[in-house]
Amino acid sequence: MSDHSEQSSDDSVHSGKGAERWLFEEAREVRGLLFSVVGLAVAIGVLIVFQARLLATACQALVIDGAAVDAILPLAAVLVLLAAGRALCTYIMENRSAAAAARVKRAVRSRLYRKIQLLGSAGLAGGETGSLVETVTKGVDELEHYFTRFLPQLVLAAILPFMFLIIIVPSEWRSGLVLLFSAPCIPLFMILIGRGSEKLHRRQWSKLSRMAGHLLDLVAGLPDLVISGAAKREAEVVAKVSDDYRSATMTVLRVAFLSAFTLEFFATVGTAVVAVIIGFRLLSGELPLGEGLFVLLMAPEFYLPLRNLGLSYHSRMQGVAAAERISPLLGKVAPAGFSGTLLPAPGAPAITFESVSFRYGGERGGVRNVDFTLPSGSVTALVGESGAGKTTFARLLVGLARPESGRILVNGQDLTLLDAESWRSSIAWVSQSPYFTAGTLRENLTLGRPDADDDEIAAAIRAAAADQFINKMSGGLDTVLGDRGAGLSGGELRRLALARAYLSPATLIVLDEPTAGLDAESEKLVCDALHNLASGRTLLVISHREQTLSRADRVAEMVDGRIDRIITPHEFLSPVAGLV
Amino acid sequence: MSLILRFLKISGRQWRWMSAGIILGVLVIAANSLLMAISGWFIASMAVSGVTGASFNYFFPSATIRFLAIARTVGRYAERLVTHEATFRILAELRVWLFKKLIPLTPASLERYSGGDVTGRLRADIDAMETLYLRIIAPMATGVVSMVGGVVFIACFSLSSATAMFLFLLLTGVGLPLLVGRFSEAPGKRSALLAADLRNRVTDGIQGLEELVLLGAVERQAAFVDDLSSDLIDEQQRLAGINGFSIAGMVFFAGSAVAAVLVTAGTEVAALQVSPPNLVMLLLFSAAIFESVGQLPPALNLFPAVRESSARIFELSDAPIPVPDAALITSMPVDNAIRFTNVSASYLAGSGVLHDFSLTVPPGGSVVLTGGSGAGKSLLLEVLLRFRNYQGSVTVGGAEITALPKESLLKLIAAVPQRPHLFNGSIRDNILLGNPSASDELLRSAVYDSCLESWIDGLPDGLDTQVGLNGSAVSGGEGRRIALARALVKNAPILLLDEPTESLDLQTELELVSRLKQRFRNLPGCTIMVVSHRPACLFLGDLTIRITSVPCNIP
Repeated sequence: MSDHSEQSSDDSVHSGKGAERWLFEEAREVRGLLFSVVGLAVAIGVLIVFQARLLATACQALVIDGAAVDAILPLAAVLVLLAAGRALCTYIMENRSAAAAARVKRAVRSRLYRKIQLLGSAGLAGGETGSLVETVTKGVDELEHYFTRFLPQLVLAAILPFMFLIIIVPSEWRSGLVLLFSAPCIPLFMILIGRGSEKLHRRQWSKLSRMAGHLLDLVAGLPDLVISGAAKREAEVVAKVSDDYRSATMTVLRVAFLSAFTLEFFATVGTAVVAVIIGFRLLSGELPLGEGLFVLLMAPEFYLPLRNLGLSYHSRMQGVAAAERISPLLGKVAPAGFSGTLLPAPGAPAITFESVSFRYGGERGGVRNVDFTLPSGSVTALVGESGAGKTTFARLLVGLARPESGRILVNGQDLTLLDAESWRSSIAWVSQSPYFTAGTLRENLTLGRPDADDDEIAAAIRAAAADQFINKMSGGLDTVLGDRGAGLSGGELRRLALARAYLSPATLIVLDEPTAGLDAESEKLVCDALHNLASGRTLLVISHREQTLSRADRVAEMVDGRIDRIITPHEFLSPVAGLV
Repeated sequence: MSLILRFLKISGRQWRWMSAGIILGVLVIAANSLLMAISGWFIASMAVSGVTGASFNYFFPSATIRFLAIARTVGRYAERLVTHEATFRILAELRVWLFKKLIPLTPASLERYSGGDVTGRLRADIDAMETLYLRIIAPMATGVVSMVGGVVFIACFSLSSATAMFLFLLLTGVGLPLLVGRFSEAPGKRSALLAADLRNRVTDGIQGLEELVLLGAVERQAAFVDDLSSDLIDEQQRLAGINGFSIAGMVFFAGSAVAAVLVTAGTEVAALQVSPPNLVMLLLFSAAIFESVGQLPPALNLFPAVRESSARIFELSDAPIPVPDAALITSMPVDNAIRFTNVSASYLAGSGVLHDFSLTVPPGGSVVLTGGSGAGKSLLLEVLLRFRNYQGSVTVGGAEITALPKESLLKLIAAVPQRPHLFNGSIRDNILLGNPSASDELLRSAVYDSCLESWIDGLPDGLDTQVGLNGSAVSGGEGRRIALARALVKNAPILLLDEPTESLDLQTELELVSRLKQRFRNLPGCTIMVVSHRPACLFLGDLTIRITSVPCNIP
């Protein structure tokens, strides 16, 4: 287990470099905005120099020259103006960097979502739906501070200290030397300390999310804990896990905070040394107070960009972590769709698989060397254990995946020679949890055929045995469905999906477990609807429910990616019948 | 405010670490401000001596400067360690507190937290609450203390400067955050809503991808996501703009405050009320104090979101206990007979309903309950598990189940719930949850009788195979059988099974039923209730009861 995490954290360090390269490329798209951010920050730096200069001059006047207050009032007024100028530049700068981040996020999310659609329809997106959603939503948001904080600070840390140094040296070259030689120590020590802690830090982050996941996992399974009598026991585990996490994290932080410590140490000691040097030069009368104070005021400003860069380290980590999830997805190559031009013949298609193989590269779920025919207008049930390849078979059938070897014939024509668009429009797919968008019932039913009229809709609803419950709804066809069809039972949703398939011009219909989890009465209604749907269409039903199977013309059983046997429903179901 | 008090009460045991963090924070700010102040005073005094030729003892100030420089650096390091230590200790307290609070609420009051979206929110809420100390309480406390201390320090030298500083600090630390909070309220709410919309839309789009492709609606869906994303980013950009305004305001006030101190203290220098080096000291001190007040606006900006999160968590933890527990055993079960007499019960949602249901299962008897969905079969088992309230009488071994503490009652019962949960761990962990001290023999027989042995033998890691989050690495049928083995390994005198063969293929289902049948024959004393609408499961009982739904209203 520990070896695993070691391995994966090393991998992520490597891919971190690729992710950072990708982030730089994205930054290039908004370089105009980012340059203006840097330009404004430099302008602010200039204003800071003026502020310090004015303040030092005023002190010289009051402390040494014994000037009257009236003499410094104009200086104070200009100080306020300078503050206003700095505020204005800051405001514009923040807005500009937000605009840059917004542009990147908008473009990346749009590209990413489309890429996932493309990959997903070929079954290649990989990963859980949840983590893909997380990447598209939160992941993209987390890029923000990389562009608004880290990148500008990176450039500024290289510009501002030199600018300040050039201004300081003419006033007090000795102090300038102190600053010049202390500054390179900061990045040097930070790199030395940061190297080790970065890897630790990453591992810690993944531990944190694992620990949060642990609590949520327990909360989600609380009823099971209570039933098993394990709830109290697990409360102690929660305490122990949190405590282990604390001591492990503190070990890391003790090292990680050292880089901030180094930075502060050099900055503070540098400033203090400058103060002492200036003090003695002032004492000997070689330097006027105005010059000395100006240098003292500028000393912390000299270190500030470096400190800010250190503080933006977290923004960088966050951005790189998000990029590590985003850039590999964007970089994946989606297989070319089929590019034929032939139109499929009208009517229920006959489909033949000729030694078709397809493997995801994994062990489970592929199909191997399948020879199989779906006659025109037939109803075929596909059964088999999970992982036997039923879903892959169905995906190949509808063209969502392309065979790695062998070919699929539609009415004797190779599937790849067909026009993808028109082939897809002749297929309907009814899944276990059908897709419903938050909208009216009518919108959902006519997704595949926006031009259907009310009579056609009514006929489809009747055929799908959905008329009863739809008539009971107060809004009828204009009833608004909640998210994913919230408000309707599983059986009702599946009948709606069948009505949608009935309404569409599809002549090949694939149903993935249309009756799983339904009680006997709902199953019967769905099966009736299936029966109505079958006339004039070719149907493939993935199911293991006997009532559903009994309506099929024949049952094909898949074992280990192969069609093992083709039998009648009666033959398949007889062992059960014998038992009952 | 009451929220913070409550938070402090829960994490009260960690008060030492919490106050140590705040004290160190104040010390660091003090060291930093004094470092600047003394440096300013030192060089001004040196300059004055340089001009007048008067002698000046520079040993003490330069030693102080060195000391403060080190104190500040070391102090900052210690402060960060201590505040983080406090945060992690609080985190542990909070997690255990919340978990213990949730136990008696399950499942009736937690049902709305079962969906992925809501779990995500719970996670975000806990995360937000965990940072309450580190990001809000500690910086606010140190910020306020150093603000007050700073004003007092300035007042020792110049009252008028102290007044000016006080006003500017108030504007920056309180006025500005209030204004910003006002501005960002509406876009903040809108962006939270849009983010939830976007998440739902993307989830729908990815889950329903096959259908969308075949419906030719992929591009429409992508355009919809683009629109939502764009609206969301607009709001986020607005919020960033408001944040920029807040930073700009701080910059302006800080600059103006220094100018104000220059004028007020300058006037007093000219009037000989303040010694000239002290002017420089006050100026540099004011600038440094402003830096530390800069941590107030971000803390206050975070506060509304954390308040919402904590309020949601408290709302959850304060929910009334749906099924009250008995404190003491007032009646002892004599055997494992189960008797329902005129039982009425319903889910909170009111979908499934039991009405006047009566049934007796003798000790060692077995019953299969069947009937349409929504008839209340599962509800009956949940009543027995004390997950739901009921009217009428339910007894186990002659003792009314409300007269037994839940813990004692559940020692008598093993159950496979309707939707069993697999915990992220190994198959072995998940099975042994029911009985951590089970012998190998018991484990082996539970695995065999759940029809898992051939599958597990085929896995490279065997029983140590990880099941993944929510059982994502195993199929639905495998997961259900793991939950079955978990119930069998508990070896309790009463066994409740809700759809034990759901999502199994026919052959496996038949094999499972025959193995369970065999197991029950070998353990004649166990009372068994099975809920199923699968014909094969009817073999599991001596008796089959068909429950039909009778619509009725329970007051």
